[in-house]
Amino acid sequence: MTNRIHIASAAAVAATMFLAAPAMASTQGSFGATSSGSVTINASVPGRVRISGLSDVTFSSVDPSVTASNAQNVCVWSNTSTRGYTITATGSGAANAFTLANGVLPVVPYTVQWASSSGQTSGTSLTAGTTLTGQTSTATNQDCSSGPAASASLVVSIGSSTLQSMSAGVTYNGTLTLVVAPE
Amino acid sequence: MSSSLEACPRRGKAQGARKGILRLAFSIALFLSAVAYPLPAFAQKVRITNLSDVDFGLISNLQADALRSQNVCVYSQSTGGRYSITAAGSGAGSSFSLSNGSNALDYEVEWSDQSGQTSGTSLTPNVAATGRVSAATQQTCNSGPAASASLIILMRSPSLSQAREGTYSGSLTLLVAAE
Repeated sequence: MTNRIHIASAAAVAATMFLAAPAMASTQGSFGATSSGSVTINASVPGRVRISGLSDVTFSSVDPSVTASNAQNVCVWSNTSTRGYTITATGSGAANAFTLANGVLPVVPYTVQWASSSGQTSGTSLTAGTTLTGQTSTATNQDCSSGPAASASLVVSIGSSTLQSMSAGVTYNGTLTLVVAPE
Repeated sequence: MSSSLEACPRRGKAQGARKGILRLAFSIALFLSAVAYPLPAFAQKVRITNLSDVDFGLISNLQADALRSQNVCVYSQSTGGRYSITAAGSGAGSSFSLSNGSNALDYEVEWSDQSGQTSGTSLTPNVAATGRVSAATQQTCNSGPAASASLIILMRSPSLSQAREGTYSGSLTLLVAAE
């Protein structure tokens, strides 16, 4: 009989441990001149990022003897605790290559660099389809409408040797896609 | 004989006058005592019950408002079931704000003195919303209406879309007083 009681007590303790109510739980008011009750409110916010402020890149009438380069300020916002993010770039060429094209003419390669601060003319070289990790944003607003006006730099370049191989008077097109993820 | 016959009516009149004066004095004394020592007024009582914790879970869409509404029982003995309600959050200065330890996430509180509502009067921390009326006929709504008010908690998209990643929590205290 004593053993049974001990077993039951142990089971009850175990059940209490596993079925313990949250530390903070709603309370109900008592009957009086005033009555007070309370509730606990919980919410979880997932990691989110946003890239904005991107502009199309146009190289026109460039001097083929020097590298043509275009740098632009971009807004990347991250809500993670470190404001960290990763970035992955893909081009519209074969196998996501960074290339421009015009019909049957040979494709024109270009390079992409990324800097996690604005106002830069150089940065870390991106490889098509390969994620660059360890980036940090200073943006305090999703689209940089307040706080820093930009938080990163995108630099697109075409080397002089490539420019010299291109046909004059022909327009080459391509698309560069940037994917940002929370980190 | 004649003199005794005349004396009796005079005595009767005097006694009647004395009784009238006594009655008047008693009434005045009663009135004065009631004015000077009024009986204590019957204290009207209230009660708030059926409150439940609010769990928004993982809010995946930060571009839309998140809302949770619950039915609450508020009972008031006051004439017409009148009461006031005051809300206080666990944020700084009793603000309606959740915390993840290092960051805050603001929310709004609305109150309706009808159950089943998803909108109501916006509450300000520590400011009593007066003129509320309860339809409850029993302290805990065990009989009569099953609830008499709605508590609505709102998280607005502008707050959510700027919030840092994490799990936030806080408490909200509601104080009901008879009116």
